[in-house]
Amino acid sequence: MERSELRPVLRNMFPRERTYLLPALHYVHHELGSLPEWALQTVAWHLRVPPSEVYGCATSYSELRIESAGTHLLRVCTGLSCWHNGGRSLIDQLSRELGISPGETSPDGRFTLEEVPCGFICPLAPALEIDGKWRGRMTTDAIPSLVKSLS
Amino acid sequence: MTLPSRSKQPIPNFGNGRTRVVVQVGHCSAAVGAREVAHSLKTALSQRSDACLVVTGCDGACFAAPQVIVTHPSGLQQRHTQVTAADVPALVRSLDESHPRCATESDVEAFFNAQHRRLLSCCGSIDPGNISEYVSIGGYDSLSLALSMSPEEVIQTVQDAGLLGRGGAYFPAARKWQGARSFNAPVRYLVVNAEEGEPGIFKDRHIMEGDPHLLLEGMLIAAYASGASQAYVYVNAEANLSAARMETAIEQARDAGYIGDDILGSGFGLQVHLRRGAGGYVCGEETTLLDTIQGNRREPRLRPPFPVESGLFRMPTVINNVETLANVPLILSDGMAPPTTPDDGGNGNKSFRRQLTPFTELGLESAKGTKMVCLSGAVRRPGLGEAPMGTTIRDIVYNLGGGLPPGHNLGVIGVGGPSSGILPPSELDTQLRPGMLHPSGVVMGAGGIMVMDDQAPVIDVVRRLAAYNAAESCGKCTPCREGTPRIVQALDRLAAGGAGADTIDELRYLADIVGAGSLCGLGQMAGGPVNSALHFFGDALEV
Repeated sequence: MERSELRPVLRNMFPRERTYLLPALHYVHHELGSLPEWALQTVAWHLRVPPSEVYGCATSYSELRIESAGTHLLRVCTGLSCWHNGGRSLIDQLSRELGISPGETSPDGRFTLEEVPCGFICPLAPALEIDGKWRGRMTTDAIPSLVKSLS
Repeated sequence: MTLPSRSKQPIPNFGNGRTRVVVQVGHCSAAVGAREVAHSLKTALSQRSDACLVVTGCDGACFAAPQVIVTHPSGLQQRHTQVTAADVPALVRSLDESHPRCATESDVEAFFNAQHRRLLSCCGSIDPGNISEYVSIGGYDSLSLALSMSPEEVIQTVQDAGLLGRGGAYFPAARKWQGARSFNAPVRYLVVNAEEGEPGIFKDRHIMEGDPHLLLEGMLIAAYASGASQAYVYVNAEANLSAARMETAIEQARDAGYIGDDILGSGFGLQVHLRRGAGGYVCGEETTLLDTIQGNRREPRLRPPFPVESGLFRMPTVINNVETLANVPLILSDGMAPPTTPDDGGNGNKSFRRQLTPFTELGLESAKGTKMVCLSGAVRRPGLGEAPMGTTIRDIVYNLGGGLPPGHNLGVIGVGGPSSGILPPSELDTQLRPGMLHPSGVVMGAGGIMVMDDQAPVIDVVRRLAAYNAAESCGKCTPCREGTPRIVQALDRLAAGGAGADTIDELRYLADIVGAGSLCGLGQMAGGPVNSALHFFGDALEV
């Protein structure tokens, strides 16, 4: 989406009331994959909310990202059930395969590895999310071919 | 407590003369290939007129997912567990066998026999995308009944049944409705708290994915009773499937006249809005949730005023959990007389709800009904179950969950959510009930049971819970913002070894301060894991 397109889209989609802040942020995040500063300012302009407050709000939610992630986003569940059922090994294995630690993006921008507190599929531990799709009952043996399939 | 076996618990029948092939696709099972199974089955069955494919939510037997359940016109049922797309051709061939093998999975049988299902009675068999199936089992009859009563009578009925909120605080639901009614205002709101963001909890998702109209019907009755004309359903950011199925259900209910301006000709009107969360444990806290709907930062409010007086947009607001509202239609149908005329082609589905054991006959004197339990960790049969209040943790871990896998010994059990504390094996006979399960600060919370084996160090379990609370602190209250990271630091010192009694004292002190000096439940309960660990494992923690 181009910068110039966002204003008219917001005007069509959301009434200019503060209650639409989170829905508008969701929409922009979905379209752009992150919330760059210009987009936050456009949302602020449309909803007539100070940009500082839009920024404060946007950064308080864990599922909204200000910095964009790598091409592929891999998130490992670190909830209790996953962590003690192989989640820890999944992270170690992924770190080795990708050459990055949790929270980092690979220098070529292809992979971002993150830990999440829970994927809410605890009975199918350990769980790993790849580009928005969760996979349960993961094994470390499956990691190399999974990473290869993303390359 | 002896429970009726599954054969004695009612199961709805949606037979239409054809073989019904159900694929259970939920947030969990989709992570192990249920969508791919559904896709293969759709292709394989597209040429057959004698079989119909139905995509439902999950029935809670997550350990067996993905599941395909085949019901033959004769009523014979076959359950296929851990199905992969590669199994589909053989599965489709088996539909033609004149005497299909009745696959009795002893694990699945045992899992269901250890339960008493009311809320989940249709999950995994009813089509969540088809309102007529819901209506065929007597759905929305409770709404009609409620609309024929006065709001006060509805409140009284639910009050008499003793329905307590299922989100973790166990506040009487009808008292909230009464409270909101008692304040005059131009508009009242009902907010459905479906912001299920606690690690280890996945119960509300199952209801929204598997039986969304049950939630909608409960929501409509609650709105009528409390005088609300606007409702918000606030769904967790990580629950896309729940949100999608709720959206479909809302549209269908609107088209059928159950949502709108003049519902069933009663003059009562309700508008329903679906909102999505964006992550964060604290968003499930009710006043925080209201602020996020209003477009503010996710931070809790000072109480009083309580939301029933001044909530969303400063109007009287009732906030109920999904599980609480799902109980409401079933409580109302408990009191209905059995139908006098045979209906819906004679398969008896209309009286389905009346075959359920009444709410007031289950559970404890102080807390009636059932509780959904999210079982995960080192057990043979992890999944979502439903058991009467008062069921012991031993029953959940061993009867429902089948105990630990061979070669594993029980370690600690994480009860409730991330701030509800841990119990050692010696406390297995603790009953699930509202209030304190143990004076050291262990509560049932939203109903999670996370089982650890003895290879998981206690200090590591507590540290993970404490680190979660520290990361999720919104920062509004200083004791929580500054105290929760210091709890983690103290635990790290303990784990590194060499720390002594001073560190233990500091932990106690910090847990007290954080609990006493915080506005919302996150901070107030953040000391739970530490306090319970110090109580049960005090000496063992000093490495």
